[in-house]
Amino acid sequence: MTHARIVPLNRDEDQPSLPGFEDAEDRWRQDYDRQIGTERRIVNRSGIEIDPIYTPENWSSDRYMADLGFPGQAPYTRGIYPTMHRGRTWSQRQLIGLGTPGDYNERVRKIVDHGATAISLIPCNSGFRGIDCDEVPLPLLGTCGTVVNTVDHMDQALDGIPIGDISTAMNDPTPFTLLAFVLGVAKRRGIPFERITGTSNQSDYISHFVANHMFYRLSQPGSRRVLVDHVAYCREHVPNWNPVSVVGQHMQQAGATPAETMGLTLSTAIQYAEDCMARGMDPDAILPRFTFFFDISISFFEEIAKFRAGRRIWARIAKDRLGARNPRSWRFKFHGQTSGVDLTAQQPLNNIARVAVQAAAGIFSGLQSMHTDAYDEAITSPTEGPARIAVATQNILREEAHLCDVIDPMGGSYYVETLTNQMEEEILQVMDRIEAAGGMYEAVGSGTVQTMIGQSALAAQEKVEAGDEKVVGVNCYQDDDGVEQPEPYRPDRQAMEAHVKAFKAFKADRSQATVDKAIAGLREAAQDESANTFEKVVDAAAVGVTHGEIIGTLREELGFGHPLIIA
Amino acid sequence: MTAFERLLAGEVSALARAISLLEAGGDASDALAARLRGHTGNARVIGFTGPPGAGKSTLISAYVAALRARGERIAVLAVDPSSPLSGGAVLGDRTRMGEHSTDQGVFIRSVAARGHLGGLALSIPAILDAVDAAGWPTIILETVGAGQSETEIVEFADVKVVLNAPGLGDDIQAIKAGILEIADVLVVNKSDLPLAERTVRQLQAMLALRSAGSQDVPVVMTSATRLDGLDDLEQAVDNRFGLSADLDAERRRGRRLRGLLRRRAEAAIRDRLVAIAPDRMDAICERVHSNAVSIDGAALELAALALDGNEVAGALLDEP
Amino acid sequence: MSEQPIRVLVTKIGLDGHDRGSRVVAAYLRDAGMEVIYTPPWQQIEEVVALALQEDVDVIGVSSLATDHLIVPDLVEALRTADLGHVGVIVGGIVPDMEHPSLLTAGVARIFGPGASRDDIVDCVSDLGARVRGEKLAEGDFSQ
Repeated sequence: MTHARIVPLNRDEDQPSLPGFEDAEDRWRQDYDRQIGTERRIVNRSGIEIDPIYTPENWSSDRYMADLGFPGQAPYTRGIYPTMHRGRTWSQRQLIGLGTPGDYNERVRKIVDHGATAISLIPCNSGFRGIDCDEVPLPLLGTCGTVVNTVDHMDQALDGIPIGDISTAMNDPTPFTLLAFVLGVAKRRGIPFERITGTSNQSDYISHFVANHMFYRLSQPGSRRVLVDHVAYCREHVPNWNPVSVVGQHMQQAGATPAETMGLTLSTAIQYAEDCMARGMDPDAILPRFTFFFDISISFFEEIAKFRAGRRIWARIAKDRLGARNPRSWRFKFHGQTSGVDLTAQQPLNNIARVAVQAAAGIFSGLQSMHTDAYDEAITSPTEGPARIAVATQNILREEAHLCDVIDPMGGSYYVETLTNQMEEEILQVMDRIEAAGGMYEAVGSGTVQTMIGQSALAAQEKVEAGDEKVVGVNCYQDDDGVEQPEPYRPDRQAMEAHVKAFKAFKADRSQATVDKAIAGLREAAQDESANTFEKVVDAAAVGVTHGEIIGTLREELGFGHPLIIA
Repeated sequence: MTAFERLLAGEVSALARAISLLEAGGDASDALAARLRGHTGNARVIGFTGPPGAGKSTLISAYVAALRARGERIAVLAVDPSSPLSGGAVLGDRTRMGEHSTDQGVFIRSVAARGHLGGLALSIPAILDAVDAAGWPTIILETVGAGQSETEIVEFADVKVVLNAPGLGDDIQAIKAGILEIADVLVVNKSDLPLAERTVRQLQAMLALRSAGSQDVPVVMTSATRLDGLDDLEQAVDNRFGLSADLDAERRRGRRLRGLLRRRAEAAIRDRLVAIAPDRMDAICERVHSNAVSIDGAALELAALALDGNEVAGALLDEP
Repeated sequence: MSEQPIRVLVTKIGLDGHDRGSRVVAAYLRDAGMEVIYTPPWQQIEEVVALALQEDVDVIGVSSLATDHLIVPDLVEALRTADLGHVGVIVGGIVPDMEHPSLLTAGVARIFGPGASRDDIVDCVSDLGARVRGEKLAEGDFSQ
């Protein structure tokens, strides 16, 4: 099935020409050709050629209602809500993850005090791997994320944070033990689950099999099952939680072009929606809680066009393909993170400028939630000073540059509208390829997606090597004299040792009988197709079963995640 | 102990070095290959071949696990093509066999085809001898069954397992490559997929069209990811070894040597054909055009010319 | 036929999973005529040693992000213990400047940062590989 196309790009021949336009254009063209010197061909990251100027010949407002409309209405190009940032600004949701739960708590309290309206937790890489802290060499713990293996740890991490009022994002793939721990904490604090808001930020297992390799948890079919269980459970018990976040970030970071990224991500969203619908769920019951997570690169206009096109395409898909009738189901809600791939280790302070540009692109793209990178991100997990500047950047763009005063201020730009339409065309082509390959699940299983991305990654690297793609401080304007590298973050070794020791003591003190029973319950559920595995994960977490134990059990039953394809 | 003695004693590093030498070719390599021939014939060689995407490596990994469970030691040679442009290669088959990385009872080696004329067939027999001499009783030879040279390689196996998977786009791809003809066991992997049954039926139909003996070729359904059908595969392979008298140690040695000689001879002729002077070639072509000789006759003349040492020597002198 | 391709193991140890860099480097080395044994991330040190032994590799390229480089000296030590001390080890990725000396002291031949050029990397692996090859030949052969 190919996707419906937008109104053709060529200008309607019946439209009367603007008086004097042709002559003026000819004159400009002559002057331009005479003065430009050697004309170089400019192509953006998605392969679209960029002209020196755009005029009503490319796009004009007679297409306003077809291409743009008004915010909060079809085709949704200008935004998913009528008020957008003029009403409520995006959530400032900085990703935080470091050291012990105590370290996380200290950092998150400061961020909240400085104006963050939502929080996020990134677990230690050992957590992503699906193992507990006592199975890992000490120097590797807590360097890129917080070590959280039990409900107690989560309680410490969120000490003093009003989780019934503030939105929390858990960066945790299947089987979502971190959310299980949050629910355990909510129960302890007497907070009903209906008040728990946030997102399962790494629920997109398909993107993990393609890039970033968090798959070393469950097999592809196992992950598929647990995700749908998770959606079903949340719908019933944690109705204000977003159980699905479809992630474009990993693929773009692995080298997919912006257009490829949007195409692949939307294809993944279709896959998840259809998997849930195959289990009998109504699209209007699940789509309002589908969210997206993207990188915002420094290709400023391209990113804005990518998101506007994506928003427009998703609305059509939700309605026409997935059959959702409620407008809330058609909304493309997304969190944007400024892309770390564009940041450099060389001359790191330059990254502050880069992040500001990326963040501005994000704002003009109409995102709902944003994380801005700290300037030392290319070297280390963000340290405090740089992390504060990242938050201040968002505040400056909003308060001083007034970027939120007008909804979709780029709308109507001849360039941006043309580019949005062109990006839509590229995105739909990628989606057609995925359709032809049998949908995203199959396409990833067969390696089609990985090959596509690998080729784009190599092509991009070659451009940088050849000097065609310029990176300041790396292949141009280099100047490394006396530029001091920021100090990398390292968790306090003693604190971490103590944390691991306390964890071992906790395991020894638990009631083994209770733990065994919970694990047996989890195992049974895994073996029974009609049971809900996530429900058992929540139960197990509540009685003190650890992260590694839960995942280990599910791996035995549902299969270990293996690499699907290599270089 | 000398390096050779260490190899015979089963030392992994000695075997690994020996394989590198045998891959390289040359005089030292040939000398080693000759020495090795006196110490072989104990290993059973099982070939696994099939198109990309059929799940070969994953299935082999599961099969190795099954063999390990019954106490066997297994060596795996994973053969992959080299880039025709650069001669390099990225060898990743063993990544799917990661569960066996640190098992002392498993030896895995990635072998690149290196773009030899005629494919890897020139060094594979020697490598098999080395692994055999090092005391590995079972050797799995894995190749991508996509073309002519890969088919040649798998002929060095005693029992040849040919893999298919449903829905790879072309169900009869195996037939096109001529691989179906040599299969001793046919496997349809990814048996959990809906089209698996259909693929089995298609293969059975094709077997029926084959000449006599095809009825003995079992078609086994497996799912490497679900570990289904491995018992059946084990049985089918064991049966094949049990059935055929061709497969005792003496005969195996003989087959491997005969195969090697044939391939070497082909390579020698190929090299000489290339060196034939253009005007000699033109003369023969002229005689074909004027019907003075048939195509087959002309080809034999060309071959004879190639083997005539004087002719080749003369041609080489004429080169600028 | 004495021009044997250099055999390189490209791998990741430790906990990080980002492998875009190692895939690109694997492609570079292949295009330069080398044989690359490529592993996914999250390899254990014992696995890398077993692999290096069986595959008779000349050079090991470790791709590292976060603090994974902190356990590279453990890898070098494990290689030495397994009689693979001659194998060249290089590290690529993000290694803070201040932590370079300890790696080099531990036996890492070279550390490549994010600005490293393709030619730089290929030349280094080539030279290192040739040197290791030479040492192997000198060590002993199958002529006895």
